[in-house]
Amino acid sequence: MKSRWMIAVVGAAMMVASVSASPRAGAQSPAAGTSAETKAKIVIDGSTTVGPLAKAFAEYYMSNNPGVNITVSESGSGNGAKSLVNGVCDVATLSRFMKPEEFKAAADKGLLPVAHVIAFDGIAIVVHPANPLSGLTLEQVRDIYLGKITNWKQLGGPDQDIIAISRDSNSGTYETFEQMVMDKQKIAPRIEYVGSNGAIRQRVQSTPAAIGYVGFGFLDRTVKALPVNDVHPDQQSVLSGRYPIARPLFMFTNGYPALGSHVQQFVTLYLSPKGQEIVESIGFVPLTKY
Amino acid sequence: MNLASRKLINRVFTSVGVLSILLMAATLVVIMGPIVERGLGAFIFRGTVEHRRVLLQQFGRGDREALEAESREVAAARRPVYDLLEAFEAQLTQGPAELRRQYRQPLNELKQHLQGLLGPFPGKPEPVLLRDRYGETRWDQARARCDHIVYAEHYDYSDPSRMGLLVRTPRAEQFAGTVLEPLFTYVPAHLEEMLRPRWTCYARFLTDVSYDSHFFGGIGPELLGTFYLTIGAILFAVPLGVVSAIYLTEYARPGSRVVALLRTCISTLAGVPSIVFGLFGLAFFINTLRVSPSKSVLAGSLTLGLLILPLVIRAAEEAIRSVPETYKLAALSLGATRWRTMVTVLLPAALPGILTGIVISMGRAAGETAPIIFTAAVSVGQPLALWQTFTEPTPALPWNIFNLCSEHQAVDEIRHVQYGMVFTLVLLVLLLNSTAIFLRARISRKLRG
Repeated sequence: MKSRWMIAVVGAAMMVASVSASPRAGAQSPAAGTSAETKAKIVIDGSTTVGPLAKAFAEYYMSNNPGVNITVSESGSGNGAKSLVNGVCDVATLSRFMKPEEFKAAADKGLLPVAHVIAFDGIAIVVHPANPLSGLTLEQVRDIYLGKITNWKQLGGPDQDIIAISRDSNSGTYETFEQMVMDKQKIAPRIEYVGSNGAIRQRVQSTPAAIGYVGFGFLDRTVKALPVNDVHPDQQSVLSGRYPIARPLFMFTNGYPALGSHVQQFVTLYLSPKGQEIVESIGFVPLTKY
Repeated sequence: MNLASRKLINRVFTSVGVLSILLMAATLVVIMGPIVERGLGAFIFRGTVEHRRVLLQQFGRGDREALEAESREVAAARRPVYDLLEAFEAQLTQGPAELRRQYRQPLNELKQHLQGLLGPFPGKPEPVLLRDRYGETRWDQARARCDHIVYAEHYDYSDPSRMGLLVRTPRAEQFAGTVLEPLFTYVPAHLEEMLRPRWTCYARFLTDVSYDSHFFGGIGPELLGTFYLTIGAILFAVPLGVVSAIYLTEYARPGSRVVALLRTCISTLAGVPSIVFGLFGLAFFINTLRVSPSKSVLAGSLTLGLLILPLVIRAAEEAIRSVPETYKLAALSLGATRWRTMVTVLLPAALPGILTGIVISMGRAAGETAPIIFTAAVSVGQPLALWQTFTEPTPALPWNIFNLCSEHQAVDEIRHVQYGMVFTLVLLVLLLNSTAIFLRARISRKLRG
């Protein structure tokens, strides 16, 4: 008898859980009970740099197209490319261009990735605001990450060891940095690696002797972005090409999406005035000028 | 050994035991205290008029007329701020270019903070991002923002031998002698009238969707996703686990090599790091079996199910084994088949023990992050209806806690959401585990007769 009573209790608990869960689901997804057409979904995976942008686009798109469920995950550009090649996402966000081997893997599976440049971005060299430095040259940044410069004193700062932070090798930001700053030379082994832009910023904002690099979307009052080669990192200097560490941000789709489809409308959102405003409010550099 | 030294040893042992228990309790308080305190802050806080505006405009909840009346009063209280700004800008445009250049940067900074505090300036076009459409929704954040308005922060680099020192100067000094000066006494003095803080119990935090990547709203999709994943994992692991346990205890030849090997495998499986399960889930369920077109609740549940399978097998085996042998013999002697004995005698008697194991593994499944990173979890998404769980990924509490703190671009502004998630998840696991303790207490009472 007792055990039967217990089954009833656990069963009831599960029922409560599922019942309290289901009306929520019903209320929030207008797709419930409507035609299959409105049950559309877009799965986005990839760069943590493009993440804020993808999330803001998704929010905007969903608010105008209720019934479309857009999910965004931020696992790094490399994973985004892999997901697209494996056919498990609709849109891959990359903060670098696809690599030849990724294209080859895609082609072997009969997929043809198409690139959509959605915004420009600079990679800002950030330090703690307490750091007295007012700028670095590209060579100095490289030397820091090569381990040739290890103390802020060598750069005219206080006598403290430099704690250099880098992104992991799955990151598009890392690859851009490696290409544009490191000149294909190996980053020193003592450099600290972290998994996302946000993590770099957190490490830098809490460590006075740290230096790191993040996409423009992650700049805020808690870190100081240093001018590189005397060029201040901002919209104008990225657009004009004067800022030395700038790059386009991409969304990749498998082939050009069917015209009028949700995916196609989504990846062309950046062309609209609202899309441009989103790009700008997040902190990136829009391609369009209205 | 004489009596005195034996007593001494005994006393030392007792005190070490007491000490370690006290230490454990202290650790628990140190860990749980902030979780509870800050986590509750997501539910109970002083909400400003902006919070009520979000609720009304985004969720359609609240008293429209009362809010409109309140908005009028609030707007009246804010009027002087905007008037002062306007007057100052007029002064700038009429004044020399030198003046404009001097104040351009400080004014921009001030305006940004004012926008953050009160929302967009009246008459300006509505910003496209939701986060820019409202001022501070929480009184604690509003006061911090007010502090930034009154004091400007900068670093003093005058001593080259050390890092700069943070200096706070009153902004009133920056703008001394201009028409803007009274603003810096007006804002802190009239902050309450401008924002109307009121104690708010935001219980719907648990069920609301989030807007603009967690800036507003609650954690509904995450909580629902966690429920789906946990229940899915149980649905997958329990039948498999219980059947395996029955086989291992009742049908397998005792002492056989194969069974010993199986047991070793199960123990090993229980010790495999969860990230390995995550990668396996991605490679096997998604890339090879293609159970779903993308990451999905289904793939995540299967992976989590695999993770807790050894736990369930162990618990069920233990429970079946602890049923007195006499029960089985009595049933068999009455002529019941092995199958009937199993279903009508052994399983019912073992059920409480099996249930305990299930509930504990539910707690484990709910809290695991690594297995769902690659198989089910996303950082933003809508709450799913039941049929969507087969094809679509979902946000889930453990992953989103990690995601918020490590990847969100404005995490410092939404810490309360993160704490709220942590609190909810801890509470959920605590609830499941206490259910298990309750069940276990009942069993022991039953066994005592």
